Amino acid sequence: MKQKKQLMTSSGQPVRKTPLATRVWNYRGYYLMFIPVAIFVLLIYYWPMLGIRYAWFDYKPVGPKTFVGWKHFETMFATAAFWTAFKNTLQLSIMKLLITTLTAVVASVFLNEMNNLLAKKSLQTIIYLPHFMSWAVVAGIFSMLLSPTSTGMVNGILKDIGILDPAGNGIYFLASKAWWRPIFYIINIWKETGWGTIIFLATLSGINPELYEAADIDGASRMQKIWNVTVPALTNTIITVLILNLAKVMNMFESVFVLYNSAVYDVSDVISTYIYRQTFAVALPNYGYSTAVGLFKSLVGGFLVIVCNQLSKKTRGRGIV
Amino acid sequence: MAKNVYKKKNKIHVFDVVNYLVFILIGLFILVPIWKVVVDSFNAVGVYQFQLWPNRPTLDGYKTIIHTKQLYQPFINSVITTLVGTLLGLILCTLGGYVLAQADMPGRNGLAFFLLFTMVFSGGMIPEYLVMKQLHLVDNMWILVVKHGINIYNLVLMKNFFEGIPESLFEAAKIDGCSPMKIFYKIVLPLSKAALASIGLMFAVTIWNDYTTVKIYITSPDQTNFQYKLRNMIMDGDTPTTSYNVSQTTLFNAGIVAAILPFMVAYPFLQKYFVKGVNIGAVKE
Repeated sequence: MKQKKQLMTSSGQPVRKTPLATRVWNYRGYYLMFIPVAIFVLLIYYWPMLGIRYAWFDYKPVGPKTFVGWKHFETMFATAAFWTAFKNTLQLSIMKLLITTLTAVVASVFLNEMNNLLAKKSLQTIIYLPHFMSWAVVAGIFSMLLSPTSTGMVNGILKDIGILDPAGNGIYFLASKAWWRPIFYIINIWKETGWGTIIFLATLSGINPELYEAADIDGASRMQKIWNVTVPALTNTIITVLILNLAKVMNMFESVFVLYNSAVYDVSDVISTYIYRQTFAVALPNYGYSTAVGLFKSLVGGFLVIVCNQLSKKTRGRGIV
Repeated sequence: MAKNVYKKKNKIHVFDVVNYLVFILIGLFILVPIWKVVVDSFNAVGVYQFQLWPNRPTLDGYKTIIHTKQLYQPFINSVITTLVGTLLGLILCTLGGYVLAQADMPGRNGLAFFLLFTMVFSGGMIPEYLVMKQLHLVDNMWILVVKHGINIYNLVLMKNFFEGIPESLFEAAKIDGCSPMKIFYKIVLPLSKAALASIGLMFAVTIWNDYTTVKIYITSPDQTNFQYKLRNMIMDGDTPTTSYNVSQTTLFNAGIVAAILPFMVAYPFLQKYFVKGVNIGAVKE
């Protein structure tokens, strides 16, 4: 957005603006062009907002809708599974965000130090790859690698090197409460680290080479240069990435949905998967209750977006978008 | 002095070795799972060991996939929804982005708020489901096109890109009496080819890879997409009956390769557009 300057005539009078109606008329073509966008936004985003009223209704696939006041919210706040899902959402998304950002920063610093251009380009091509695989495919790959059956690579290797009993059953990683979260983070590192480096590498390529030359003259070692020039240059970008993604914390769904199972709900269930199961995995769903949980999720999510937007304005002078 | 220089050289050497080692480790960490899937898809017997090359090569996994009729319809659905959805997505986000880029247009801020508000607040999964039901999009593959066709984030990326086009070009066209639509397709679109490619790719990847939408909205087998069908095959034991005597592991791995193949083949050629897409909006400081 550009700041509009008030135009003045030579005698110091403000230039009279064209009347609003004329200006609207001049832009008529643009309003027409916006109509298709508006129709889709109204249908896909605004119409469902009207459905929020069901949070105060009993609404089942069969039978009438009846007004029940705050009943669903009371049930929700009294349900242990809801609180588990809420805590898991925060813990899984924030940990994932911190871990993948850290690995992306480390990877981009190493990439930046690589002088062999061919090696650098090849590694970039390789580490971007997993980003283009769907979560369904990634879940398929890792559930085979981690499987406790005779074809699971990880269990097989653990048996070969003697960590696990070769005659034993092996670890069912994705169905183990102790292992599910670490595995989830590792899979996220595998999938998103490479993609995360793009933005950091863009920042690093903008560092003034004179800074490194000055450091050379001061006799700085490679590590000292990384620590005192490269990393500080990344600080702003790291903060930006963290803020932008913090706004999306409540949205976690597909990555969990394809990897979790009933054995590990305690450590893996997030709000969206909880809503999904309350609606599509029960015999007679109450849309009212699911809507209430969804409304809670939307409100927390919206609050986070607004907070992050303010943080973003403060730290880098412009909003999230 | 001479000793110092020698020491420094030695140090650089050690760092480079460490750097190469880290490089190889990161590369292996990413590549081993992918390579294992590819090798196992050609391997007649499933083994846990990591092999560089299949020790009992076979094409039966792929033959089974090709001859499984239940996979045809989902594959066609995926291709159609990806193409149409990408086209719709590009049309809507270029139109919207172009209108929002008109800084002096009366009501522009109102329209921007109208779009951005949807990023702050949403009706949620269930009200959305109920609306789609009224639009007859439940159990209908076109849900993928409608749902992904409008993407405010990409629209804003497009707007940011358009704002970077020199204003003088527009003014010259306006003086020549071009209508907004004509300016749009005679000047703006030809200048935006790279941005269109980047954002089009983002749409295509999202739609092709979508599994959740299908899982929520679709129940009929003939309306599902390829990702959904393959995932069902691999994780939920919906194995196709086959005339080939192929091991399950071989078949699963071949399925995964089939699901990622289109983008893996195109990816090396399109990498620069993907990367550009990230940087259009993000590094505008």
